[in-house]
Amino acid sequence: MKTKQDFPSINERKAEGVKEDGNGYRVLIVDDSMFVTKQISQILTSEGFDVVGIATDGEEGVEKYKELFPNVDVVTMDITMPKMDGVTALEKILEFDKEARVVMISALGKQDLVKKSLLLGAKNYIVKPLDRKKVLERIVMSLKQ
Amino acid sequence: MRVEYINPFVESAYNVLKEVLNGDVKRGELFLKSTAMPVLGVAAIVGLAGDVEGRVVFDMTRETAVNIASAMLEAMEMEPITTLNDMGRATINELANMITGQAVTKLHDLGFKFDLTPPAILTGDNMELSDSGVEALIVPMEVPQGKIEINVAIRERA
Repeated sequence: MKTKQDFPSINERKAEGVKEDGNGYRVLIVDDSMFVTKQISQILTSEGFDVVGIATDGEEGVEKYKELFPNVDVVTMDITMPKMDGVTALEKILEFDKEARVVMISALGKQDLVKKSLLLGAKNYIVKPLDRKKVLERIVMSLKQ
Repeated sequence: MRVEYINPFVESAYNVLKEVLNGDVKRGELFLKSTAMPVLGVAAIVGLAGDVEGRVVFDMTRETAVNIASAMLEAMEMEPITTLNDMGRATINELANMITGQAVTKLHDLGFKFDLTPPAILTGDNMELSDSGVEALIVPMEVPQGKIEINVAIRERA
């Protein structure tokens, strides 16, 4: 007869955001919406990711990336933001570090800009409304590329 | 105003509200207004400019705004709000963003090309909204948290 021990505990599942060395992947969130910022950090920290920085416009996002470099594993980048949009910020980050992993966050209706970002070198994109599964799947995928 | 402009907003409001609030969404009867109309208390306004121009307003009472923002936050396992604070406004702002984003995709597919402004949130009592030279179509949407009126005034650019 099977006992409880025969089944792996769900608690033993490895969190998606934890690296082989036991530390969380380091994320920089660039988004002007306080709601989206909280939402992304909530989803990621619950899976063991380490949110190392938050920027509320593209300009600040580029600055923070340079400041934190090389201690950022992935950047989530909103497309529409004040001061500097996400596509320009992506370009600037890639100019500085061509290995940067950037995942674009977009509202529907911005397909042209998403395509442009992917051509420029963004690793992936997520269309809002955000949900846990979609966010984790796309970010993990970008880390494996 | 052509009805085809409002349908994408109604469809996407229905889809987005259902998804983020995870509850029943009922669409009320559409009505037309050409005079100044009262604003319920919290209005998220998004401007459109291009082949077509105008604005879309998502209008609700302060209580509904708090209830909706709290439900959206709770769905994300975040702290609900009790008053319309910065987080509440950011949440309603994002809701307006999501709805207009989906609607615009549909309108772009129909061949209309235009840009959107980021949503602005207006709050206050006894406010009125009026548009010059364009009628507004209003669709009330009932959700468990209250009623949202989607108020669309769009015209083709002369």
